[in-house]
Amino acid sequence: MNEDKTESLGKITRRQFLLGSGAIGATVFLPGKLLAIPNTIPDSKGFLVVDLKKCQGCGTCMMACALAHSGEASYSLSRIQIQQDSFTDWPDDVSMAICRQCRDAPCVAVCPVRPIRANKANPGHGNVRMIDPALCIGCKMCLTRCPYAPSRIQWNPDLEKSQKCDLCVDTPYLEEKGGPGGMQACVKVCPVNAISYTTKMPDQGSDESYNVNLRGRAWSKLGMTTK
Amino acid sequence: MTLYGYAGKILRLDMTNRKAIAIETEPYRRWGGGHGMGAALFWDFCKDKTITDGRHPANVCCVMTSPLCGTIVPSAGGRCEVVGVGVGQYPVSWFTRTNFGGRFSTMLKYAGWDGIVIEGKADSPVWVEIRDGQVIFHDSRDLWGKDTWATQLEIRDLIKIRRGTKTHWQDLQALPLGESNESSGENFGRTTQKPAILCIGRAGENQTCHACLIHDAGNGAGQGGLGAVWGSKNLKAISVLGTGGIKVHDPKALLRARMITKEKYVTSWETPDFGAWTRIGGLPKPIVQVAPPTSERRPQSCQACINGCRSRYNVGYGNESACQETSWYGAFVRKVAKTSAEDTEINLKSADIVQKYGLNSFVFQTGLHWLEHLYEEGALGPGRPIPSDLPWESIGTLDFAEKIVHALSTRTDIGADLADGWVQAALKWGREEDLHTGALQFSYWGVPEHGYDPRAELEWGYGSLMGDRDTNTHCFNYIFTVVSAAFAFGKPLRIQAEELVNLHARKLSPYAKDRPEVLDYSDANMYSEAVAQIVRWQQHYCRFYKNSALYCDLKWPDFINTNLPDLEGATASPDAGEQVFWNAVTGDALKFEDGIEIGRRIWNLDNAIWVLQGRHRDMVYFAPYIYETKYKKGELFPFYMWPCRDNEGNWQYTDLMGRSMDKDKFDEWKTIFYRLEGWDIKTGWPKRSTLEKMDMGFVADALAAAGRLGEEAS
Repeated sequence: MNEDKTESLGKITRRQFLLGSGAIGATVFLPGKLLAIPNTIPDSKGFLVVDLKKCQGCGTCMMACALAHSGEASYSLSRIQIQQDSFTDWPDDVSMAICRQCRDAPCVAVCPVRPIRANKANPGHGNVRMIDPALCIGCKMCLTRCPYAPSRIQWNPDLEKSQKCDLCVDTPYLEEKGGPGGMQACVKVCPVNAISYTTKMPDQGSDESYNVNLRGRAWSKLGMTTK
Repeated sequence: MTLYGYAGKILRLDMTNRKAIAIETEPYRRWGGGHGMGAALFWDFCKDKTITDGRHPANVCCVMTSPLCGTIVPSAGGRCEVVGVGVGQYPVSWFTRTNFGGRFSTMLKYAGWDGIVIEGKADSPVWVEIRDGQVIFHDSRDLWGKDTWATQLEIRDLIKIRRGTKTHWQDLQALPLGESNESSGENFGRTTQKPAILCIGRAGENQTCHACLIHDAGNGAGQGGLGAVWGSKNLKAISVLGTGGIKVHDPKALLRARMITKEKYVTSWETPDFGAWTRIGGLPKPIVQVAPPTSERRPQSCQACINGCRSRYNVGYGNESACQETSWYGAFVRKVAKTSAEDTEINLKSADIVQKYGLNSFVFQTGLHWLEHLYEEGALGPGRPIPSDLPWESIGTLDFAEKIVHALSTRTDIGADLADGWVQAALKWGREEDLHTGALQFSYWGVPEHGYDPRAELEWGYGSLMGDRDTNTHCFNYIFTVVSAAFAFGKPLRIQAEELVNLHARKLSPYAKDRPEVLDYSDANMYSEAVAQIVRWQQHYCRFYKNSALYCDLKWPDFINTNLPDLEGATASPDAGEQVFWNAVTGDALKFEDGIEIGRRIWNLDNAIWVLQGRHRDMVYFAPYIYETKYKKGELFPFYMWPCRDNEGNWQYTDLMGRSMDKDKFDEWKTIFYRLEGWDIKTGWPKRSTLEKMDMGFVADALAAAGRLGEEAS
C-alpha cells in the first residue's frame, strides 16, 4: 500500500508545472498531456462496498447522503447513486455507484488547483479523497476524469463546484462523527444492510471487487438467495 | 420564507388549452399535503361540484405529494395521492381517492412541484413531460393503444433516456424538446435516474370503471377508476425528471429519527424475529400471495421504505406485483395448476397482465366468483341471457386471464356492460337478487368487499360506508390477520387480548385514549358509541397521516411492537412517531393529536363535497346481503378472530364468523356517528357551527348556497 507521502509531480517542479499550465499563483486548467503526470497518493484507509443483489432500491441512502452533507434531500446531490430499472430482471435491475476511493485516484490527479489541490487525500481523515469546496474552482475536470459510469463526482449546481463521497467526514447535518472511524450515513440508514464500510482496500485491478456478498442467515430465511 | 418540506409550487395542467400554470403552494399549506391539499384544490378549481361521473370534463384530478415525499421518512417518502370524482360506483361516483407508491412523488418534488392539478379535456391524446420547471405537452396518438409498460419504455426512448443501470449523468438541457416547444432557458440540472412515469393502459383509454394509473412495473393507483378520468381527458401519461432537492427544517433530527426507527423498532438482522407483531418493524418480505417463483430475487420498495413488500425476480415475470394483484386469480388457478410452480407462474403472469392493461384487479376479488356463478347457473355464456363468448370452461388458465382482462379493458364481451359499474351491470342483467343473496359481494358504494367483511370487521365496513369507497385502511385490520394466523397455524399468541387492546388504547388520542372498549367488536358492542369513536379516529388519522402526510398504509400506524420489551410501537412515540418526522421536515410543532385534528378538517371537506354531489343519510347503507345473510365464508381463514369482551367483561379473541348486521340498529349507529362528528343527524350534512370551529366558514357558505347545510338544532 502507498503510505503517506509528499505529493510529487515527477520531474516537473511545482513552479514549472504552474508556469507550464499558463498561470502563476492561480488556479488553472491542465493541458491534456499533463493529465498523465505520475501521481502518488496515500491510500485511503476506508472504503464502501455494496451488495448489488441485496439493495431494495428505496433510495434512502441517496437522500440521507444529501441530507447529511447539504441539509436537503436530493438524488442529484447524493454522493452515492443507485440506478434501477423496473423493466429489467434481477440482478441487473439495480446498480449501486459508490466512490471507490481509488488508490491512484484520477480525480485527485487531475485537479488543477495549486498550490493546494482542491481534491486530495485528507491525512487528517484516513486519506479519504475529498474535495474542498473552498478551493474547488468548478472546472469539472475531476468530474469528467472519473473512469466510472456514472462519474463518482457530482456537480453541485448551487455551489457551482464538484463534490464527491468523503465517507461522511464533512457532514454538518449528521449528529455523530463521520468519516473513517466514524459512521457513514448511507451504511447506517440502509434498511437491508446492502452497504458496508471496510478498512481493507478492495482489489484495485477489478471492476467487481467493491461488489460483495452482504447477505446472511436472515436473508436466506426471508427466502432469497445468498449466492 | 422557506416552506420546508415543500417544493413551493403546484402545477395546473389546463388540458383543454394545453397550458401549464404554476401556482403557489403556500395558500394550501394548512391542508398538509396529499389528500388534504388535493381536496382543497378540487374545491377551488372544480367549477361544478355536483358532477357524479368522473369522466365529466368539469372533473378535476389532483396528483399530490406531501412534505415527507422525497425524504427519508420511513415508509412515507415514496407515496402519492390522487383525488377526483371517481367512475362506476353505485348509486353515485363520489369524490374519491387512490394512492400509489414508487418514485413518482419523489421525482415530482425534485422537479419543483408539490402536485399536479389536471383540468379540462384535451381534444386529442397527449402525454405531458415535466423536466424540472419545464412542462411540455406531447402528442400521444402513437402511444394510444399501448400497454402501460410499453408506454413507459417508449417515452424513455422518445426523450433519449439512456438504457441500462450503469449510465452516465444526463444533462436535462441536452434532452430533446417536443416538436412545438422551445427551451425555457432555465438552468437544468443533471441526473442518473430514469424518469418517473405515471400512465394509463387500455382500461383507462376506454374509460372503464376499473381503470388504474400505473407507474413503473407495479405501482398502481387502483380504486376509484381514476384511470378512466385520465382517459376521458385524453391524458395518456405524465413523465417527470427532477434534479433538485427538498430543504428540510432539521436534517439532524430527521436522520436521527430514521436511525432510531431502524435500530429500535425494526427487528434485528442478527437475531431476527420473523413472527414479530408490528407494522413498521418487520424485515423486507414480499407480500406475494403465492409461493415465490425463485429465491433469485431482491426485495423491492417505494422510495424511503424501511422494509420493501415487493420483489424483482430473475424469471421474467411478476416484478413489483404484490398483495391483491398476485391473488386475484388464485382461487381459479388452483383448480387447473398441476404444480405449485405452475400455480405461481399463472398467478404472477396474470398480475403482469392487469398491470399492463392498467386494470384494477380488485373487481375480481369477489366479482369473478360472481361471474363464474352466473356461468355455472347457465345465465352467462355463449347464447345465454347474458351473452359471453369468453372461454369460461378454461377459467383458471392464463389464456382466460388475458381474455377477460382484455374484455373488461376494451368494453368488449361482458366488458361492455361491466365497464360502467358492476352493480349497474347486475341491475341491467336482472340480477338484483344477487345483491340480496350475496352472490355479488359488492358491499358498499358499488365496490367489492375487501376480504374483511363489514359484519365482522366493523371499523373497515363502517368507515367505508361513511366514506367514499372501500376504505382499504389497515390501521387495525392486522389484528385479525396476526391473531387468526396464530389460531390457524398453531403459532403462539404474542399478546393476549386484554393487553393488546390496552396497548392500542394508549395511542388512540384524542377520541379513544385509554378506552379499550372501542376495540370490542362483540355483538353487544357493535353498534355502540365506542365503535363510532374508533371509526372516527381511523378516518381522521388516515385523512391526515396516511392520505395527506402519506405514511404507508401497510406500515403505519405501529401501535404495538413485539421487538420492544414494553411492546410500545412507534406510533405517536416521542422518538420516532409520525409527528416527529413531520416536525423535523416542516419545522412545525405538531403534536400527534394535532394531526388527527387536521384529518378531521379534511374529512369534513370531503363530506361537504359528497353532500354537494347529493349525499344524504338515507343513501348511506350497505348492500342488502350484509343485513339479510350471515357472514359464513372467510377469504383467508375459516374464522374471524377479534378481541371481544364476554358477558363478564373479560377480554378474549373471539370468532366473529356467522354474524349478520341489523339494519335498524346500524341506522341508529349512524345517528351516533353523525352526532359525534357535529353533522345534522337527519341528513348527515355538516353544520355551520362545526365547520366554523375549524375555520371552514367558506365551506358552510357554499353548502348554504346549495341548500345543503345541516340544521343546527338537529
